[in-house]
Parts: sequence; C-alpha cells; structure tokens
Amino acid sequence: MSNNLISVNNLKKSFGGLKAVDVQELSFKKGELTSIIGPNGAGKTTFFDLISGFQSADSGEVSLKGKNISSTQPYKIARMGMVRTFQLTKVFDRMTVIENLLFSGSNINNDSFLKSFLKLNSQKLYESNLKEKANQIMNDLNIGHMADSYARELSGGQKKLLELARSIINEPEILLLDEPLAGVNPKLAEDILSLITKLSDTGITILMVEHNIEAVMKISERIVVLAEGSLIADGVPNEIRTDTNVIEAYLGKADE
Amino acid sequence: MTSAKISFRLIFSLFVTAFSIYLVFLLNPDGAPRILLNLFTFAGIYGLSAIGLNVHFGWTGLLNFGHASFMGVGAYVTLLLMPHAAGREGEVTTTGLPFFAALILGIGAAALFGLLLGLPAIRLRGDYLAIVTIAAAEIFRLLVRDLESITGGVYGIINYTENFQKYRPLFIDNFSENLGFSPSQAWVCLAAWVSIFITVLLLKRLSDSPWGRALRAVREDEDAVRAMGKNAVWLKLQSFMLGAGIAGLSGVLLAFNYGSLETTVFIPLLTFYVWAIMILGGVGTITGPIFGSIIFWVIISETDRLAYLLFENANGQQLAGVRFLLVGVLIMFLMIFRPSGLLGKKEELLLDVK
Repeated sequence: MSNNLISVNNLKKSFGGLKAVDVQELSFKKGELTSIIGPNGAGKTTFFDLISGFQSADSGEVSLKGKNISSTQPYKIARMGMVRTFQLTKVFDRMTVIENLLFSGSNINNDSFLKSFLKLNSQKLYESNLKEKANQIMNDLNIGHMADSYARELSGGQKKLLELARSIINEPEILLLDEPLAGVNPKLAEDILSLITKLSDTGITILMVEHNIEAVMKISERIVVLAEGSLIADGVPNEIRTDTNVIEAYLGKADE
Repeated sequence: MTSAKISFRLIFSLFVTAFSIYLVFLLNPDGAPRILLNLFTFAGIYGLSAIGLNVHFGWTGLLNFGHASFMGVGAYVTLLLMPHAAGREGEVTTTGLPFFAALILGIGAAALFGLLLGLPAIRLRGDYLAIVTIAAAEIFRLLVRDLESITGGVYGIINYTENFQKYRPLFIDNFSENLGFSPSQAWVCLAAWVSIFITVLLLKRLSDSPWGRALRAVREDEDAVRAMGKNAVWLKLQSFMLGAGIAGLSGVLLAFNYGSLETTVFIPLLTFYVWAIMILGGVGTITGPIFGSIIFWVIISETDRLAYLLFENANGQQLAGVRFLLVGVLIMFLMIFRPSGLLGKKEELLLDVK
C-alpha cells in the first residue's frame, strides 16, 4: 500500500441519472506509465476531474501520497506535485509562448503583489533563471522559434506541446495527460509519445487518457479500462488486447 | 508587437486627441479655455476611473459593472472623515481628519469594499459577475441614500471643498485669473492629472511583473491557472482591490470637482461612461483610457454645440435627441475604425469574454 502514489476508494460521481464514475478500488504506483482507455462517455475525463479536484465526487475517497484530497482545491493538489492537462487544450491564448511558460513555472511567492511592486533583485534573479529553464524546455519540444508569438497563433499540435511544456516546467511528480494526441498529426504524435516515454523514464508517474489504441499499447506499462464509469479491466497491454470484456465494451456483445 | 506598430497607434491617438481639442476651439470661438478646463477635469477623473476598470477587465477579465460604487465608497468615506456639513439641516461636523489622511482611508475603504464584494461574488464567471456587481452598486447607492443621519441622504454633503482647496498653491490662482478659470477647478484638474501620472507609473511597474502576468493568465483561462497550482480566486481579489482603490481615488476627485455630493452621482450611467472610455481607449492598455477619456468628453460636451450648429431652428428637446444620436454615431465610427480601441493591440482584442 505504501508505494501507491494515488489511490481511489469507492469513488462515485453521477450527473442526474447518469452514472459517470463508479470505481471500487484503483491505485497507481510511483513511476508507472498508465493509460486509461474506454469508449466515449466511459467517464475517463470525469475520473481525471475527480482526482485533480476540478469536480468533487458524490462519495468515496481519493488519496495522494497518503493524504485524503477528496475535497482539496485543484490548485493545492497541483502544488502537491500532481499536474494535469486538458482534453480541450487550455493555453493562455493572448499571452506569448514564453509568458505561458514563465507564468506556469514561477512559484506563488514570486508572483506576489508586494514583490512585483518592489521589484526586488531576488525576483529578477529568479525570473532570469526561470527564463533559462523555459528556453531549455521550449527548445527540447521544438517550439523555441515560437517563443515570442501569441499562443493563439500556434497550431493545434503546437498548443498540445505548449501545454505539455507548461505542465513539466515545475517538475511534477505526477502528470495527468488528457488526450495528449488528440488532433495531432502523426509525425508530431510520434514526438509527443517519445517525450512521454522519456518523462516516464525520469521517474515521473504518468496517467494518460488516450483514444489512440495503437499508441497506448506501444508505450503503456499498464492499461486501465473504464466503461460506463466502472473499471472493467486492468493489466499489462498484452492482457488487455485479448480481454473479452474490453472487446465487448468497444465492439458490443457478439450475438449468439 | 513591433515598436513601429506601437508608435503608429500612439501617433494616431495623439492626432485624434489633438483634433478633438481643436474642435473645441472651432466650436467655441469665445470661452474655449474655460470649456477645456472643465473638459480636462472630467476627462482626468473619468480617465483615472477607467484605468482602474482596466485592471479589472483588461488585465484580469473581470466583468465589473459596479464601478460607480467603488468611486462612491471612496468619495463618501473620505468626505465623511473630514469636516463637512450633511443632510437637510446642513448639520456641521467641524472635527475630522486632514485631507490626505482621509483620502488614504477613503482609498483603503474602496479597496476593502472591493474585497468584501469580491469574496462572495468573484467565484462567478463572466456575465454572472456583471449582474452581481451592478446590483451591489445599486444597493450601495440606495443604502447611502437611506442612511440620511450619516450621509445626508438625498440632501447630500456640502462644505467640504475647503479641506482640499486650502492646499491650493498660489500659482494656480494667478494662472487662473489670467485665463478666466475657476481656480478651485484648476486645482482639482491638476490633482486629477497628477493622480493619473502616479497611477500610470504604478501600473507600468506592475504590468510587466510576475504579478501582472498572473492576472493576465487568469483572464485567459482560470482552470489552467488552477491546474498550474495558482490560487485564481486570490489573484482576482487582489485585482479587484487594486482597481477599486484607483476608482475610490477618482471618486474623491469627482466629489471635489462637484463641490457637493449626493447619491445620484453614482448611478449606473457613471459606470457605463467609464466602460465607454475604457473601450474607446483600448482594453488592456495602461494609458489608452487617458486618450479615450479626452475624446469621450469632447464628444459628450461638444455634440450639443454641434447639434445646435447643424439644426439652427430646432428646439431644446429636439437638440437633446440629436445630440445623443451624434454621440452614438461618433463612438460607433471610432470603434469601427479602431475596433481594439485607440491604443489597444489587435492581438489582444478583448471584447470576447468567456
């Protein structure tokens, strides 16, 4: 139990009569690269919202590093080291790419009104270190040439990259990626996949919701399958590939 | 983003502003300086208020339609802390704080009011916040009207201008005499423009800072701000307090310009004037509202003159109608020609609120 970074107990959420999430027990170990798959409407994004605090569960418990975070504010969860991205990419459109990164990388102490008003040297030093880090990450992700463009001018794929860059600038322990490959061309998808693998290799725990099964099978260490809010399968890619429940969930029951 | 583009915007704004001032001279062959003083006083006060509103809307994306109440809180608290006379009987309060102490407390009270109003309201988004703020502003105004024993109610507050006018330097009197100005208004006008100057310096310092950057991120996407571990609610509250404080200062100046204060000054129309000025000047800019304010007040104050010249035989009622038609046409013309305001960047066109 102790090496479980995130564990979920009896987590339930419904919208009206619709049961969005109903998960008995699920936990994620440190360093794992896990994919969450399932047909449309399976509750994958709601599951992410519940564990990252963006929605509150009807009942049940989520714990992060042994702490119950069921009713913790999203920003506090993020500060505990669990950072998420969004299915519909949320970049700061009317800020430049570098500003997007600087904002995300700077800590709350650096953002304070008083420090900004006094323009202390410590803040200037912090900012210049941050800028270096941001440049490094932008170059790693091939968006360095766009540093001074407004984020709204980026292509869909570049926005995905920017969102990823923004999520990793603070070196999170856990990354929740909500469809990192959606609407991205195959070449860029390759790049993003290898980036995700690389991040996983550095020890970051990654949970990923993704529809691209081929990609999921290729990079995941573990796959969790949700259907109609419930957990129907959990295992290594090869097990999932042949699991009858999973095939039924995607293709429907075979007529007898 | 290039500097050439910025300077074009600046030159264009200066040109339009200069042209509108020239129009004042053209339409008022005699007495132009006095009209200009009045115009610049209002332009300074409203411009200052619009600069505060820009912190709310332009920087942070908060749809605040209760700006008049922040001005009102600043004005009422400052005046009531100083020697004044209030109510039907003109009950005189001779004791009170000196002007600057009262002013600072008034600005603080406006900021505090921003915080108190913000605490329950700021979790709302977009148009819901707009509805709550406009309602809160009316509640404030009606409350002030009914608390007659303190605020003077509908009879208002008088006899307070001396608190400020006694600091008037001698050169203003000399200067005003030569030009036929009212020296007390000239002093308020100077104070308004000095306040703008100081506020612009303060905001310039803040806008490029990590704090200003955080506010803009809140404007763009609150959820993403939260996902990055930042407390969006607290950032919005800080923005609300800063803008409200600036509005409070402009409210005090407005009170000193009028010479007597009553609640009808802070009707929603005041808020809408400030909004028009901010949008004309350029949402999200720091100095834009200054130009916006001058042009707005030229349009407001000179359209009746223009209407009179266009339709010599019309009566007063007809002229009033034509006048507001002209106000609308001129503002529309400016917005079509410069949709992001005089100084606004096209890339940051902010009229779409999420």
